[in-house]
This record gives sequence, structure tokens and C-alpha cells, in this order.
Amino acid sequence: MKRRQRDAVLLSVIENLGAEGSWCGETHIQKATYFVQELLKVPLEFDFILYKHGPFSFDLSDEITAMRADYLLGLESRPYPYGPSIVPGESSEMIKEQFSKTLEKYKPAAKFVADKFGDKGVAELERISTALYVTLTGGVGGSVESRAQRIHELKPHVDIDKAREAVKIVDEIIKEAREVQVT
Amino acid sequence: MAKRIHEIRDPIHNFIRLDSGERNVLDSRPFQRLRYIHQLALTYLVYPGATHRRFEHSLGVMELAGRAYDIVTEPDNIHESISTIVPPHDSYDHQYWRRVLRMAALCHDMGHLPFSHAAEKDLLPDGWDHERLTIDIIQSCEMESIWKDLKIQPDDVAKLAVGPKKYKDATFSDWEILLSEIIVGDAFGVDRMDYLLRDSHHAGVAYGKFDYYRLIDTIRILPREYEDSTEPTLGIEEGGLHSAESMLLARYFMYMQLYFHHVRRIYDIHLKDFLKAWLSDGYLPVALDDHLQLTDNEVTAELQKAARDEKHPGHDPARRIVNREHFRLLYHRNPDDLRKNPDAAEAIFDAACNKFGRETVRYDSYEQKRSVLDFPILDNDGRIVSSQAKSVTLKNVPIVAVDYIFISPKYRKNAEDWLKQNREIIITQKEEDEL
Repeated sequence: MKRRQRDAVLLSVIENLGAEGSWCGETHIQKATYFVQELLKVPLEFDFILYKHGPFSFDLSDEITAMRADYLLGLESRPYPYGPSIVPGESSEMIKEQFSKTLEKYKPAAKFVADKFGDKGVAELERISTALYVTLTGGVGGSVESRAQRIHELKPHVDIDKAREAVKIVDEIIKEAREVQVT
Repeated sequence: MAKRIHEIRDPIHNFIRLDSGERNVLDSRPFQRLRYIHQLALTYLVYPGATHRRFEHSLGVMELAGRAYDIVTEPDNIHESISTIVPPHDSYDHQYWRRVLRMAALCHDMGHLPFSHAAEKDLLPDGWDHERLTIDIIQSCEMESIWKDLKIQPDDVAKLAVGPKKYKDATFSDWEILLSEIIVGDAFGVDRMDYLLRDSHHAGVAYGKFDYYRLIDTIRILPREYEDSTEPTLGIEEGGLHSAESMLLARYFMYMQLYFHHVRRIYDIHLKDFLKAWLSDGYLPVALDDHLQLTDNEVTAELQKAARDEKHPGHDPARRIVNREHFRLLYHRNPDDLRKNPDAAEAIFDAACNKFGRETVRYDSYEQKRSVLDFPILDNDGRIVSSQAKSVTLKNVPIVAVDYIFISPKYRKNAEDWLKQNREIIITQKEEDEL
């Protein structure tokens, strides 16, 4: 996917998250984009590794910054003590119009993640996205227990009960995602 | 009796101290090579004082990493919610990781190519960068016995030296992520602290200075409670906020004044063009022995030779550097054009190439990495808050972004007239949406 096409898809993910009530901090965008790319197969080509709050892409972080520099994204203050929200910038409409065919194609994917994650906080997003990471990268067997153990091992601050719960949520999301996966 | 602690004079930190075991790393061939790699490539052609090398910068990073470690692991500074991840102050682990961190900081630039970053892009085979070379050097047979004497694992040193972004094959624990952030982190990485201070000192550009004593004294490991998260990360106590603001503004000014000075950037491009033409397969060597034998000295000698000899590969870019006949700035990024077309510079570059020929035009583009500086601040009332909620300054630090288009001096006047007449038409043409 070309860079500006990809920016248009990111704008759509951010707008949909916002419409579903998300704070839309960078962590929210990182985790939603991880699902859009790895589960729903939208070819964004970001490189994700396990890092802060679960799967994280430095490339995506850089692209968010670049989009801010190009007036495609902006920051909106939130009440003390929270960090800012990332919102569409003054030139975002221009890109959306230019790549309307692309947006139409990936609209179901953007809506799906917004529907699943719009109301989630950072801690829950961390658990669920780490559960998907552990499920997709394999190596620990498919059982709920083995994946929960692995999450706890990778992120010791996530207790085992919460990890188990996250694995079950992810299994449910994987089933539902089959309907909207890009082929 | 032989000295156990050695002192090195330094213009930024006065004295840098290291023990005999650490000095063996300093005396190793890969580290000594950094004496011959300029920190700022050909910047000395624009700012004559900027002739300092990676060698002293690496020493400075080691010194600051040790200071930062001592502060964040000081028992009185440890926040209760993260106490389990920090090794107890008098434990073996505490001393082990201090040593690993200092050595990682010392070695973090060992893989640098001649002329540092100037030559990196496009001159290494796919999948290679200076961080990968750094990992290879740290894990090489040549360094093995030194790490053994120091009783530290080379892989631990490599992980902290380059961090998770560049060492993708490794899994990092929360503790290792924090330690790597002390060196290469966006907000409080001591690599950045040292290069801003040092580059500012040598180039004679005052913008890079900030109160780093205060900043380091206030660094803390904190959870992002305001995001309902217990994951530990580097933050600061409220008292360090102005120093943090000052450093991030220093970074912005140094980028705009020094690192992205347009003449310095065109010299980098000419240097890259020269190396592409001179190197047998167009790439710098990645085999360790070959890499270690190539420094700025060898490249400079060849550059001078090429500038004098019309038949030498890379003669044209070499003479442009040596005789100061570099390409001239034709266009630079500006908000008005960006609002009409985020890819305005690329559009102008393509049109200029069509009009004047690819060989007479050069394009340089950079956009800052990771700028949403949202780190935790421990408020005086004990709350942990977002830096973005606490600081109006941090919210408004501009993002560094440059686009430069350069033209051969021979076509400068024609190109300027052509751009004046065609600018609006060029930038309003946009890319098609192709699925």
C-alpha cells in the first residue's frame, strides 16, 4: 500500500475509534491498528514487536508524527491528568477524498476494530492485544492456559486471571473477524 | 601500585571515570576506531568547530548512563508500585546491571559507518544498519574475552545498546526495556542528552544547552497511572519539568539550526553519491574486519584524490565537496504548500527532474520520529499525571520536518524562474487512488 493510502486508512481507524467513544491516545491507535493489520489482514505493512503495553510498532509511531507534521493529524487536550487525544488534522479531508476508493474497501475493518475497542482503556487493550500477539506468534500451544501463562510471563504486571480472560476475548474476536477479513 | 580507576578529561562532563576492566573495552580495536569517525560527518565544512568524534561522545553517554542508573535505583526514589522490578540496592544484580548499562552506553555507536549517519542510508545492503553492526561487534570473538573478564553477558550489552526497536530478534523484560530507554529512549535517553550538549559546544551553537544535572536528578521509574496502567516507564518528578522542556526545545532548535542546515545536508548527499560511485558494489562492507578497517580517514583521502582526477569514480560529487561547488537550495518545505498538497515537495522534485534532468536535481526529506512525548510526571501531591496535561510547552514543541530540493549551480537561475512560474500548477497535481 502506498504511503498516503495507508494514511487514509489510519485516519479512518482514528475517526471510527473516536466515534465509538475512544480516548484515541497513541496506545489506542497502536492496538487497533495491530488488529486491523494482523487479524483483519489490511496490508498496512507496519512492523510490530512486543514492547510497551503489548504489540507496538515504531514505524506506526513515526508515521503518526509525520502525519502531524503534514497537518493530517492533530492533538487535542484532555482534562487533567490525562494525555492528549490524537484527532484528524486540518488537511485530513483532502486525503480522505483523494483515497475514497481505498477507504470504501477497508471501511468494514475500521468499523470492526472501533466497535470492539472504542470503549476500552489502555490496560485492557494491552491484555487483549498481547493475547492476540501470543496467539498469532504461537510457540506455546493453543490452550487458553498456556497462552495465559505466556502473557503473564511476558507482562508480569498482568495477573493470570486477567490474562485468561483476555485470551477468551481474543478467541471470540478471531471468530467474529472472519466475516470482515480482507481477502 | 597500578591505578584501578582511570580519569579522562572531557569538555562537557569535566572528568569521566572508568575502572580497569571497563578500560579494556575502551582500548579495544572496535572502540578505538571511533576516534576516526566524526560525530557530525561533514558539518565542519559549515560549522568549523564541529570536528569532534564518536569516541568522546560514547564516553559521555557512558558517564551519563551511570549517573541516571544511580538516581533511578536509589531506594528513596523508587515508587512503591514498581519496587519488585528494580534489583535491591546492595545486590549482585544491581551491580551487574549497572556495569552492563555503562558498557552498553560506551559501545552503543561501535557499528557506525564512516561519517556517521551521512553515509548510512542507501549504502548498506538490505536489512543492515549501524545498530546491527553494533550488535555483531559486541558479540564478536574479538570482544568475547573482555566481556568474560568483566563477568557480563555480551547479549545483555547488545540489547541495552540498541534497544528493542533495533534488536527485533530479542525478547526484552520490563527491566531491560527501562535500561535501554536510559540510553536510547525518546524522552530521557542519555545518548541524546550528550549529543545535544556536545554538538552545541563544538559547533558553537548555544541552543543545545540545558540543565541536565537537574534533569537526571529527577528521572524516576513510574507507572502510567493516569492511563490505568501499571506498566513501568521512565518519567520525572515535577521539579524536573522545566529541564525536560528545555531539553526538548534544545532538540528542536539543534535540528533546525545545525543537523538540518541545508548546506550540511547537501554535503551528505554529495558524499553518498561519491561513495556509491567509488565502492566496488556500491555498498559499504558489513563483514566485521572490513567494516573496522574503514574510517573517515580512508574516505577523506580517496575523496581528495577523486576531486583532482576527472577519471576517478565519483569525481563529480567529490569536487563539489572539496571545491565547495555544491548544489544550491531551490525549494524548501512550507506550511502553505503542505496545506494544498502534503506531497508538494515530491511533486516539485519530480517536475524539476523532468525539466532539468535527474542528475542536476537532489531531494532530501526528513520527518521527526516519535514526537508525542507523553511521559509520567510525579506531581508534588503524589499523583502521577501525563506530561502533556502538565506542560503547555511540551504540547507545543514543533515537529521537526524538512524537505529540500537542490539544483546544480549551473541551472540555479533558470530553475528559480521556472519554479516561480509553475509552482501552483505542480503542487495541485495529486496522486491517483489505485487499489
